[in-house]
Amino acid sequence: MIVTRKALNRRTLLKGIGVALGLPFLDAMTPAFAASTPAEQPVRLAWFYLPNGIDMRNWTPAEEGPLGALPDILSPLNGLKDDITVISNLTANWGRPLLVGAGDHGRALAAYMTGVEVYRTAGADLKLTTSADQLAAAAIGHLTKLPSLEIGLEEARQAGNCDNGYSCAYCYNVSWKTPTQPLPPISDPRNLFERLFGDDIVEAPAAHAKRLAMRQSILDHALDSTHRLEATLGGTDRRKMDEYLTSVREIEQGVERAEKSGMVIDPGIEKPFGVPHEFPDYFRLMTDMMVVAFKADITRISTIMVGREGSTRPYPEIGIADGHHPLTHHMGNMQMLEKVHQINILHAKLFAEFLTKLKNTKEGDSNLLDQSLIVYGSGLSDGNVHAHDQLPTVLAGRGGKYISPGRHIIYQRETPVANLFASMIERVGVRPEHVGDSTGTLAGLSLS
Amino acid sequence: MRLTLLLLASGSILQAAVVPGSFDKDVQPILRDTCSGCHNAKVLSGGLDLTPYMEASSVLAKRDGWEAIVAKLKAGEMPPDGIPRPPAEKMDALLKFVQTQFDTADKNAKIDPGRVTAHRLNRVEYSNTIRDLLGVDFRATEEFPADDSGYGFDNIGDVLTVSPTLMQKYLSVAEKIAARAVGGDPLPKPGFFSNKEHVRHLSGSCIELTEIVEYDADYIVHVNLLGHRGAQSKPVTLVISVDGKPYKTVTVPVQISDVNKQGGATQRGVEEVKLFLPSNQHVFRAEFVNDEELEKIPAAGRTNVNQNIFPDTIELAGPFPPSEPHPVQKKLLVCDPASGPACVDRILTALIHHAYRRPVTKLDVDGPTHIFNQAKAAGYTPAQSLQFAIATVLVDPQFLFRLERDPKAGTSAPITDVELASRLSYFLWSSMPDDELLKLGETNQLHLAAVLDAQVKRMLADTKSSAFAENFSGQWLETRSLDAVKRDAKKFPQWNNELKEAMRTETNMFFAAVMRENRPISDFIDGKYTFLNELLAKHYGIEGVKGDEFRRVELTTDQRSGVFTQGSVLTVSAYPTRTSVVLRGKYLLENVLNAPPPPPPPDVPALNEAAVGVATSLRQQMETHRADALCASCHAKMDPLGFSLENYDAIGKWRTEDGKFKVDASGKFPNGKSFDGPAEMKGMLKDNMPEFTKCVAEKMLTYALGRGVESFDRLTVQDLVRQTTQHDYKMQSLILGIVHSAPFEQRRGEAKPTVAKPTQEVAHK
Repeated sequence: MIVTRKALNRRTLLKGIGVALGLPFLDAMTPAFAASTPAEQPVRLAWFYLPNGIDMRNWTPAEEGPLGALPDILSPLNGLKDDITVISNLTANWGRPLLVGAGDHGRALAAYMTGVEVYRTAGADLKLTTSADQLAAAAIGHLTKLPSLEIGLEEARQAGNCDNGYSCAYCYNVSWKTPTQPLPPISDPRNLFERLFGDDIVEAPAAHAKRLAMRQSILDHALDSTHRLEATLGGTDRRKMDEYLTSVREIEQGVERAEKSGMVIDPGIEKPFGVPHEFPDYFRLMTDMMVVAFKADITRISTIMVGREGSTRPYPEIGIADGHHPLTHHMGNMQMLEKVHQINILHAKLFAEFLTKLKNTKEGDSNLLDQSLIVYGSGLSDGNVHAHDQLPTVLAGRGGKYISPGRHIIYQRETPVANLFASMIERVGVRPEHVGDSTGTLAGLSLS
Repeated sequence: MRLTLLLLASGSILQAAVVPGSFDKDVQPILRDTCSGCHNAKVLSGGLDLTPYMEASSVLAKRDGWEAIVAKLKAGEMPPDGIPRPPAEKMDALLKFVQTQFDTADKNAKIDPGRVTAHRLNRVEYSNTIRDLLGVDFRATEEFPADDSGYGFDNIGDVLTVSPTLMQKYLSVAEKIAARAVGGDPLPKPGFFSNKEHVRHLSGSCIELTEIVEYDADYIVHVNLLGHRGAQSKPVTLVISVDGKPYKTVTVPVQISDVNKQGGATQRGVEEVKLFLPSNQHVFRAEFVNDEELEKIPAAGRTNVNQNIFPDTIELAGPFPPSEPHPVQKKLLVCDPASGPACVDRILTALIHHAYRRPVTKLDVDGPTHIFNQAKAAGYTPAQSLQFAIATVLVDPQFLFRLERDPKAGTSAPITDVELASRLSYFLWSSMPDDELLKLGETNQLHLAAVLDAQVKRMLADTKSSAFAENFSGQWLETRSLDAVKRDAKKFPQWNNELKEAMRTETNMFFAAVMRENRPISDFIDGKYTFLNELLAKHYGIEGVKGDEFRRVELTTDQRSGVFTQGSVLTVSAYPTRTSVVLRGKYLLENVLNAPPPPPPPDVPALNEAAVGVATSLRQQMETHRADALCASCHAKMDPLGFSLENYDAIGKWRTEDGKFKVDASGKFPNGKSFDGPAEMKGMLKDNMPEFTKCVAEKMLTYALGRGVESFDRLTVQDLVRQTTQHDYKMQSLILGIVHSAPFEQRRGEAKPTVAKPTQEVAHK
């Protein structure tokens, strides 16, 4: 498939992804992929991670069972009530201080999708386990161009130490490919675009095939070179080489798949450029690309960090000049808590927009939202006291006629959030013995 | 008297000598009677249970814990207020006994150099290495995902990984960089390519466009002017600049032509400049300068084509073949690759030698040569085939990683001179060794003390050492966080990008001056000079600095001296809307004393920082907070430091009032010493130079090695502090001390390859 300029009306696109952002990126991109609907209707998995917890007073529906009018923070999702499940009482136990003391933000994120102890280190010996999304990617990632996609909405990094002896790697990465290898999210729109669609110049199909063959040879050389090298290295260094090798192999498989699909992007397409100034535009642009990635079956698994854990982003777009993290430590100050409330609503609005786009994207007799399971949640509930239980969790989508949404389900206190993730990856055929500290899957998600 | 047998990690058995005093008489009673009431298994104050410290053997067996205890006692932080203190002579006896035990053990200890994990080039190192290897201006920070950091720095081998996302980038940029270096791909047909909607109107007479250009080529910057002014108006001067550098200055008539006047058409003008641009993001600006008449035109009329002339839009056209050959291509292409295998071999051998930063073998050249031949066979031109061969080198792990050979398991040995060359160049230049350094490495001369010293001096004098100033100080002093700083536009209307960049420049230049002029590191605390431009000088209230250029300025008042009163540091240690004594106190503890405070306990009693300056003064709030014993012991140390900087607002502007309250920048430390204002606080920091030296030494050692400082580095750090102190705290004596230290010059072999644990959670099918 060649994504041509014709499909992507250049004028429209310029408007869509430039500074103006008059038309969403998605509308411009969709026609280009109209023909790329996969033969089957795969299930997609996604996780939206919210930093710093939630104003829980305005999150939890009062009643269990069918969803009535949603509490204030979730109210932007009112129109999607039949597509979401609100899940209460899940816990991320390993985020808790237990015997090691503070560092709740680093732990909250690092433990969220891994469900294991976050080994306290400033860097020498990072240790977690493979995160739930990566368990799925390891099993089904080979079916798509990209096994998984990691996105982040916080561009700049904080210098210095991150969180009380926990390496910054724990505060910035929700996806972990191995116990020691985080997958840093892509936060630059152009880089995300190029990750999805490549950044090749356009050549005739034969010339492009020739280039891909060269690329294959270059990667083969990299593999050979590494193997020769490994014999001379110590154990830890060899582990580094293994990470490198794994990545080379993954790219090699990507090149192979590209050879088969012949997908090339037209140079006339203007790539997204720079990080939009306003957070809502940034959120929309990045999640639009996520929709395209799902639609075109470039990947079926994605995580997106709405902010790094402990994010200090202010939201001047809605009149909030203070940083998010300091606000969540409101110590009962109602003015501060109200601002947290407003930030939570803004995020939910943007999430609702994203879900609506998925819902409006048809796939056979279904739509992308119905085909997805998307978590919207945090590893902290009350950010003020760093509570790691009763986590705010919304599960959107039906996972392909699997979930019966439109309900509020209250589980027993202390049910591991990993049980939810185990249920999700089971839906794509991945059945590990456990996901971190999961004790099973969640009963009752499906009414059947 | 008892003899303590201690089994060290290295396997050697040491005997602690008999020392005066005894544990049972001098130490144990104080622990038992004074300390263990809080520090026991149940209460666990500060996370410390002293039970395992009640044995004499613990002094060496639990050395790290004891070091921490000694530090607290020496600083007078423990026992806290409210707990009766043992008489001074008893405390002294305890400290003396423990210290003597330490010293005796250290005298016999062999330094363990530790080991540095294979180190992937981080983004800055990658860019600099590409620049020095191929002369290509490539900005990895715009292309690669951010590097994770550890120990406060982003060059830690253990934390730097290669994700598939990064690998894909490595592959695609390798091809592009190679193409830029060789120039073997034909340029596409030139044309207008920029997006008019990206043009920003900064003012009535200044517009700006940020665009990426895709090729190293010539481009035309095309500026459209619109409108005209009255008949009496004088011509204006238009300046077209790229990335802040003016390329064309031209006088533009502002009156309407007769033809347009008669035809009723809008006056349009065009100015162009053609210039070479490397493939990168660039900022193009068109601006009328010294335009005095603009003031006379009412704001509403400034975009009216019948009242004013203004730059309307910028367009870019290209790429055109460069008018002059790329200087790099001359250096790389010493012969014509089309002339045959001998030339290709010559080019690749030289390139790989530098790219792998070590002597080159035939095997090294074989792989890329094979790729060259394969490409040629596939029909690519020799130049294009060479590009594929170069791309092969750029994705090879020997280019992407700094690799060192391991000595035999469990033993330590000096690294090779070639490896030393790379350690040195990535420490001081964040880049590959140059020819001189590499040659000294390959001829085994670099480790010689005199040679090494001369090289360090040479490297520091080289402009490339600015990388050290920027990367080390940017992370030690956290000025890199300026990237993420956002300020409330209502409270701080003067906050903008220019001010932010000026602050960053000031601190970088200050650090570079201390480094190159070999000033004492105490200058970081109170050096009475700095580097300012007009904007920043005005921000500081300093007169007589005119223009955008930064220049050295002597500081004459108590308001500013040293980095902790520079705008950059004061800004990154504040919140978006206000200052925070806790943040600043924590900042100073971490970066001046390398003693990060323990984190607050859960369920902290309310501290309402938001109400500060409105309902109560900050000091009242903090004192209420500190009345709680749970918080007191940490805040007693942290807050005074923070209060000392209260005369600076959240963007580092001097103030004497915060809201409706007068700023009180006095404080008292747990050891009883008190101060009033930043100058006195700095004086106290300076009284404790060994502590500060230790902090800087530990941070710099971390950065130099690319690994965390471990407890076995204690002796190295002690040596560094001693040497630096002997040399009047001169910055270069610290740098030289690090370069000559065992961890920098040696390496320990890893005991056993750690077998990667299979991820037990995965159970496919």
